Amino acid sequence: MLAANSVVLIASIGMTLVFLIGGIDLSISTVISASAVISGLAMAATDSIFIGVLTAIGVGFSFGLINGILIGFFGLTPFITTMATQLIARGIAFVLSQGIAVQGTPYGLMDFGFLSFLGVPAVTWIGLAIVIICIILLTQTQWGRHLMLIGSNRNAARFSGINVRFTEISVYCLSGLLAGIAGFISISNLGNAIPGVGDTLLLLVIGAVVLGGTTMNGGEGSIARTVLGIGLLSVLISGLNLIGIPFYDQLIIQGVLIFIGTWLAMKLSARRH
Amino acid sequence: MKSTLNSIISKQKWLPIALANMVFAALLAIVSPVFLTLSNFQSMLIQSGVTAIMAIGMTFIIITAGIDISMGAILFFCSALFAQLLQDTQSYWLAFSAAIACATLLGTINGVLVTRFKISPLITTLATYSIYRGMAIHLTGAQNIPVPREMGFLGNGKLFGLPVPIILLIVIFILGVYLLNHTRLGLYAKAIGSSARSANESNLPVTKVTVAVYAIGGMVTGISALILLARVGGLQSGIGIGIEFTVIAAVILGGTKLTGGSGTIVGSVFGAFFLVLIDNGLNLVNASPYIYDIVRGSVLLAAVAVDRLSAKRQESRLIQIKKQRLEHNHATN
Repeated sequence: MLAANSVVLIASIGMTLVFLIGGIDLSISTVISASAVISGLAMAATDSIFIGVLTAIGVGFSFGLINGILIGFFGLTPFITTMATQLIARGIAFVLSQGIAVQGTPYGLMDFGFLSFLGVPAVTWIGLAIVIICIILLTQTQWGRHLMLIGSNRNAARFSGINVRFTEISVYCLSGLLAGIAGFISISNLGNAIPGVGDTLLLLVIGAVVLGGTTMNGGEGSIARTVLGIGLLSVLISGLNLIGIPFYDQLIIQGVLIFIGTWLAMKLSARRH
Repeated sequence: MKSTLNSIISKQKWLPIALANMVFAALLAIVSPVFLTLSNFQSMLIQSGVTAIMAIGMTFIIITAGIDISMGAILFFCSALFAQLLQDTQSYWLAFSAAIACATLLGTINGVLVTRFKISPLITTLATYSIYRGMAIHLTGAQNIPVPREMGFLGNGKLFGLPVPIILLIVIFILGVYLLNHTRLGLYAKAIGSSARSANESNLPVTKVTVAVYAIGGMVTGISALILLARVGGLQSGIGIGIEFTVIAAVILGGTKLTGGSGTIVGSVFGAFFLVLIDNGLNLVNASPYIYDIVRGSVLLAAVAVDRLSAKRQESRLIQIKKQRLEHNHATN
């Protein structure tokens, strides 16, 4: 359960950062697929896990960079831009893999997927490490403070001399990079690079972020809240699985939960102000 | 000459996409002799019908600065309800009216949630997307249900020599244009999209209009659902997945902005045509079906980038004119 959720966890951290700056990244889901497929192909060709990791991160970062330049530099709307790159990433994943799982990933990767430390899977440790790094980036660095300020008031941030363009581009790059890592971890979890792996993740990722109480308008929320949101969702899902609720009823419950969670978070933050 | 052309384009937001359609169609006609046949045109129109009809509804929603991610789920729910009811009762009229009524109801629920709870439309409809899809699969027990062959009439049948989906598209198109440009509903929708606060302060019926546009979106999705079901020949689990993004792409290509306030129905319909034209072109060159997504995404990016660049140029020209006027005033003073 923990291992399976680390893909969603890592992807959600990227989405949280993008939400905090007042944007949205719909492409996260299929960038996961694209980086998984490309990294799978690279590993099949070279039989080296290290090159696979590098490829996945590189692919994710490139998609993030494209999003960032289009949004931060050319001023395109985040929703449309990432919707378009979502389509492109999905297409690339399916074209390169011909629609089937990529064959020939090294066996060592399976061992990595089963590796655990103190009873917790290695991939979860990676997820936790990323959580901690991103919390430090967000709360302890100038970059993080700039990000929050841009999210809460873009004009004020610009007038006070913050490099809005750079911060925005870097946020999308980071979100893409995290999607790349999530893509690689999905290979080690599933044993294969599957082109459709990210398709259903978008709802879970956005759901976890808003359930934690990070708003889409930017400037309000935190990574810790998203981790809480994921915890809630995953406990719910595994609980429902345990008592034998079919997946379609789970969809209904998830939708209701996302809606009520967002509403409650909004109410609470309104009371605080 | 150039300035008049620019002013026409800035007023008629749908012109660029209409021109793009013509240029691309001309290109395809040169490349392939099959393209210009009547049957190819007819099949393209029928293909674009489902998206175009939904795009008309989506245009209303986007004009109010809203969005409906749940459209694909409404489409699926309606198809499921229709197929199930038809199988159980064998009554076309019951299934038909229940499906359309339900689609309108689901749209209305979206509208009520958006206005009542004031959560962003994106999150609200993302939540209802999950709920509606779950409900639909619950309803059918995750089974594929075939529909009788007579149903094909709605997908390929002809009335007065015209295919039924095209007639439906034309009727909905005319109704949509009338609603948007000649009724208070359309006017208020634009007002809400331009500034929700001003619309509220001038006592416009914001709640009613917002609920109405989502209800319209639901209703046209219901009609699209029946056409699609008739064409596919039965309920399949993949129906409607991701279609909302195609519909939004059509609306954006048509020159409507997500920020709301303005938009044209003609543009959205042309946008839907354009997407089918691209598919047709790719089909003619025997491209892999997986490439379609890449091309669609790139076209969408190119369209918004061109739009953004021309808007920037216009802005800088306006600033220049203002500067000149200021200098002129100083000189005369």
